[in-house]
Amino acid sequence: MTTEAQYWHADPALLARYIAGALDAVTGASVEQHLSRCESCRRSVGPLLEPGLVDRTWAGIRDAVERPPLPHSLRLARRCGLPEPTAVLLAGAASLRSAWLVGAFLSLSFATLAAYVSGGTALAPFLLIAPLAPVLGVAAAYGPRQDPLEALVATAPYGRTRLILLRTLAVLVSVLPVTALLGLAVPGPPWLAAAWLGPALSLVPVLLALAGFVGPRAAATVVLLGWSSVVVASTRGGLDPAWPVEAGQQGVYLALAVAACAVIAIRLRIDRQRGVAL
Amino acid sequence: MNVTRNTVELTGVGKRYGRKHALVDVDLTFDQGVTGLLGPNGAGKTTLLRIVATSIAADTGEVRLLGRDPHRAYADVTAVRRELGYLPQELGYPSDMTAFGFVEYVAVLKEWNDRERRTQEVRRVLDLVDLSDQATVRVGRLSGGQRRRVGLAQALLADPLLVVLDEPTTGLDPAQRADLRRTLSTLGHRSTVLLSTHQTEDVAALCERVVVLAGGTVRFDGAVTDMVATAAGRVWLADEPGDDALVSWQTGTGRHHVVGGTPPAGADPAEPTLEDAYLLMLGPDARRLRAPA
Repeated sequence: MTTEAQYWHADPALLARYIAGALDAVTGASVEQHLSRCESCRRSVGPLLEPGLVDRTWAGIRDAVERPPLPHSLRLARRCGLPEPTAVLLAGAASLRSAWLVGAFLSLSFATLAAYVSGGTALAPFLLIAPLAPVLGVAAAYGPRQDPLEALVATAPYGRTRLILLRTLAVLVSVLPVTALLGLAVPGPPWLAAAWLGPALSLVPVLLALAGFVGPRAAATVVLLGWSSVVVASTRGGLDPAWPVEAGQQGVYLALAVAACAVIAIRLRIDRQRGVAL
Repeated sequence: MNVTRNTVELTGVGKRYGRKHALVDVDLTFDQGVTGLLGPNGAGKTTLLRIVATSIAADTGEVRLLGRDPHRAYADVTAVRRELGYLPQELGYPSDMTAFGFVEYVAVLKEWNDRERRTQEVRRVLDLVDLSDQATVRVGRLSGGQRRRVGLAQALLADPLLVVLDEPTTGLDPAQRADLRRTLSTLGHRSTVLLSTHQTEDVAALCERVVVLAGGTVRFDGAVTDMVATAAGRVWLADEPGDDALVSWQTGTGRHHVVGGTPPAGADPAEPTLEDAYLLMLGPDARRLRAPA
């Protein structure tokens, strides 16, 4: 390595073209080489740069390095209009981890397959699992055990209730379309493909209301056992396989959902400790 | 609204867990400056801080934070929470979040919705706790002290008017304690800072005012120097342990540091420390604290 002084300097016009990116590859590389060794030319480059360019570039690099990337599903949701702060909150939610989604998808697929292969005589597995998939997802979205930041969430202006409802919504959005598609594969009358939605959408508020009293784990257990016994009892009782989701029963689910929503609303109103009612 | 109101006003506040009284009829007010809550385990420090942080409700008494009653309406508690920075005693850290990601998540919960401003704020607080270099490291890979500082960083977001720190010094080394002291004294000019600890050194180093809690009641409330003064004339250096001393222990010089009781023969009066005053204030309970490990 030599330490001799530089005998030539790049003229301002050349530097200006270098900054504008207007030089051919060879000349550009040569100027760059020179700049790396010539302090005097480096100093002349500074004033020629557009003000703020270096700061902007550096901020962009820092942003890309520091900010954790969003999962694919949330990037997709961002493109569909999901607000950026909401995406950050959902990215931090353990409930939306792919492991859980894959698990829900697999158990649903098996249940659908079982119903399909048996030609409609054994709808029970599908009817058992389809309404429970969102319920279990919501339970996972919920509890302090799943959320290590519980103490902070409860005292943040955003509010715990709002965060749980947001996650619940995200779980429903991610699970319901898949379940609906699989429902189409189930043999039986066309309305059956959507009929499981009734119990699914009523069990979620029932879970949320119960969880306010006994915690999410116990509430999920109660809901799970309750729904299983309805399905098993109807199968054992020699009723039509689609009995749990027939019109009459859908009315009961609707009533349950309304009652559960009322309980949630009343608790929100009377609980002294706002924001921790759910 | 009365503008001269204190930031935190607790009147006759009580809290029970089953049969155990965690706080009994506590009257305290806090305003700008750093106050240390000192007390043995189970004294009610965490319960008091959780009430001030709107994490739990008091069973009895009146709580007013920033001039509002947090139990009255949702709008009131939310207004308080917007001005609150809280470091809970036990904070779980999702191990797969980075330090930056963790603080950013809390920033969103605190309604920092503008991405650019949020990024700047997250960087500012990470810088305050000297973790800028570790911003991209996963929390699971940080040391205990670094994790505690990540927790501290989120409590400093948005320069809150009310800062509640439950044992912030756990896991910090002396240099980091000095940094914390600098940060808190700057913060104390504008904000009301409440912190709990069971280390008297922390209080001496970090706080202007000290509140001693024991058994859910306030034993002392005043300036740190006033608390030290309560032990004047009751601490000695002697060649013997002292028969009726509250506590005594042998120092490095071979003499005994005697707190309370009557001075043993040939005892020399010693300059009291905050710890001496604390031990005297706890009375017989102090023997347990000072028992040899």
